[in-house]
Amino acid sequence: MKIKRILIANRGEIAIRIMKTARIMKIETVAIKTAVEPNAMYLSFADVVYDNSEDVSDIPVFLDIDQLIDIALKMSADAIHPGYGFLAENAYFADKCIDNKIVFIGPSPDAIYKMGNKTIARKIAQANKIPMANGSEGNISNEDEAIKVAEKIGYPVIIKAASGGGGRGMRIVRKSEDMEKLFIIASKEAEKAFNDPSVFIEKYIENPKHIEFQILGDKKGNIIHLGERECSIQRKHQKLLEEAPSCALDEKLRKKMGDMAVLIAKAVNYYSAGTVEFLLDSDRKFYFMEMNTRIQVEHPVTEIITGIDIIEQQIRIANDEELEYKQSDIKLEGWAIECRINAEDVQAGFAPDPGRIEKLSMPEDSYVRVDTGIQAGSAIVSSYDSMIAKLIVKGKDRKEALLNCKKALDKVWIKGTKTTLPFFRMLVRHPKFQSGEFTTAFIEKDLEKFYYNSEYEELLAAWLATKLFIDENLQDNSINIDFRKSREMSPWLLNKRINQF
Amino acid sequence: MPNDKLHIKKLYALSSENRKFSFSLPFKHSIKIGKRSYEVQLKHDDKYGTYILWKNRRYPVEIISSRQNKYEILFNDISYEFTVETPFSMQRMKVLKKQKGKAEKEYIKAPMPGKIIDVLVREGGLVLRGESVVVLEAMKMQNEILSPVNGHIVKVSAKPNTNVMKDDILVEIKVD
Repeated sequence: MKIKRILIANRGEIAIRIMKTARIMKIETVAIKTAVEPNAMYLSFADVVYDNSEDVSDIPVFLDIDQLIDIALKMSADAIHPGYGFLAENAYFADKCIDNKIVFIGPSPDAIYKMGNKTIARKIAQANKIPMANGSEGNISNEDEAIKVAEKIGYPVIIKAASGGGGRGMRIVRKSEDMEKLFIIASKEAEKAFNDPSVFIEKYIENPKHIEFQILGDKKGNIIHLGERECSIQRKHQKLLEEAPSCALDEKLRKKMGDMAVLIAKAVNYYSAGTVEFLLDSDRKFYFMEMNTRIQVEHPVTEIITGIDIIEQQIRIANDEELEYKQSDIKLEGWAIECRINAEDVQAGFAPDPGRIEKLSMPEDSYVRVDTGIQAGSAIVSSYDSMIAKLIVKGKDRKEALLNCKKALDKVWIKGTKTTLPFFRMLVRHPKFQSGEFTTAFIEKDLEKFYYNSEYEELLAAWLATKLFIDENLQDNSINIDFRKSREMSPWLLNKRINQF
Repeated sequence: MPNDKLHIKKLYALSSENRKFSFSLPFKHSIKIGKRSYEVQLKHDDKYGTYILWKNRRYPVEIISSRQNKYEILFNDISYEFTVETPFSMQRMKVLKKQKGKAEKEYIKAPMPGKIIDVLVREGGLVLRGESVVVLEAMKMQNEILSPVNGHIVKVSAKPNTNVMKDDILVEIKVD
C-alpha cells in the first residue's frame, strides 16, 4: 500500500467511519481538532490529532483548501479523505491535492467538475442517451427567459442550482405567476450556498420515487454498480430514511437502471465511489437526476446488502489498485434500512434543535449497526449538521428489517435535545410505508401526524404535569390547596387567557 | 369570602388540544386502565437521567417549562402542554370561553431560529392567505413564511439581515 497516512478533512460520524476502515487496513489517520468541538468523539479514533483549536475564524478548517493542504504536508499525510459535505465535491480541492502530490481519495477533478455542474452533466447524459426530464438547454439568465422556457416544457417545472446538490437552490413552480418570485429566491439561495447564482429548469416529475445507484470504478476503466438505494422518504429534498434494495425494482429494471448508471460514470472516466441518482415515476419510467461524486451518508445500507466496505474500496482505488469485483460478483442479500436520527423538533416542522446530548445509548443487537460521532456530553452545534446517529438495521427481507427497525427504535435512549425518533416510530407503523407504495411526496401529502405515541403516553405525561402541580402548589402533600396562592396568580392568568383568545 | 384552604377532590390536566385527563385526590402513583391499576414511578439515575417507569418500560421525560399552572412536558421525545386546573378554575374557564370573541389578530412567528433574508410585506398592506410574508434562512435553507390568514399588516418587526430566535414575532396581521 502506497498510502500510509490519511488526513481526514471532515468531522463527526463520517470521520470515525473512515478511520475505522483505515485502522483495519493498517493505515494511520490524522484528525483535526477544532475550536467548535475540541472534545469531539472523532478525535479519539485518530492515530494523530492536529490541534487547530486556536483558529477561531468563521470559515471551518474543513472548507479551507490551503490550510488543509498545509496540515496534510505538515503532518506528512500522503492522502486526504474528504468524507461528505465540505470540500468533498470541490474539483479545485482535488486538483490542489494532486498538485501537492497528495492522493485525493475520490474521483478525478475533471469528473467532479463535470458532474458537479448540473448543466454540463445534463449535456453528457443527453449525449449518452440517458433518459432525462425535459429541461432548458443550459442555464437560465433571468425571470423572463425562465417563463418562456417553462411555457415550452409545461408546468409544473423545477428550478435547480447549476452548482447545486443536497436540495438547496431548488424550487417547484406550478404556474407562471409564481415564476418571477421563485426564480429570484432560488437564484439567491444558489449564490449563497454554492457561490454561483446560475440555475436551470427541468420538467418537474410528480410523485416519483428517488432511486440511486452506488457506483465503484477503478483507474483502469472498470466500473460496476452495487445495486440501488431507495431514498424517497425525504422532506424538502433532505433524506430522512434510506433502504436497500428498493421494492419498486425487479431484476429487469435494476439491470436497465444499473447499466445506465455505469454508462454515465464511464462518460466521465469515473473512478472511486459515486452515486447516480434517478427519479422513477408511477409508470416505472426513470430519469437521470444527478451524480454525486463522493461517499454518501446512506452508503451503509449498500454495504450491508453487498458485504462490501465502500470506504475500503475508495482507498484501494485511490491507491491505483484494480477493482477486485466484477459485476457478476455482486449479489444483493437481505434488506437494510437507515434512519437518520437528527436533533430536530418533529412537532415544529423538523426545526433544528441544537443542544447538549446528556444521555445516549444505542441498541447493540446483532441486526443493528450504529454510525455516530456523538456521545453523552457531546454538543450538537448549529454550525454543523444536526445528525446525532445513523441507526442502520438489517433483516432477511423488508418485513423482517422493518420489524427489527421498530424494535431498535424503542431501544434508542437520547436525552438533551428533541430528535427525529418519534417520526421514525410513526413511519415504521404506517401502512403506506409498510406496503412500499410511497413516493417523495409521502411526508407532504400522505401524513397527517408526523410522530407516533403509544396509547397511554399522553395520559402519563398528564399524570406528570399534575404531580408537578401538586408538588408546587399543595402544602405537605395534603388534599388541600392554598387558595390564596391561586387567587394571587389569577389576574395574570386571566390576562393571558384573554390575550390568547 | 372563602376559607384559606379549599377542599378539592379532583385535578384536571387539560392538553393544548383540549383533551381532559382527571386525577382524583389524594394523588396516587398509579394509573387505572380498565379494572387494573398500574404503578407509575418517576425516577432519576445517572445512566438514564429522569424517566418514568410504567409497565416495566422506561420512558424518558423532561420538564421543559412550568409557569403557574402551565406545564410543558417532554415524554418519550414528544412534547405536551397541559394546564392543570381545579374544579373551580375549570368552571371559570368555561365562563371565559363563552365570552371569547372571534380571533382578531394573527401573530406570525419564526418557526425556527434563523436569519431574515427578505421581508415581502409592509405595514398597512393587504395580505392574502398563503402569500409569503418573510423569507427566513435556517440551516442554509431559505424558507418562505406564509400568512395563514387574509388581513392587513399592522406591524412588521422582522428586518432583513437580522437574526431571529424561534417564536420571535415577525409580522402582526389584523384578520379581515
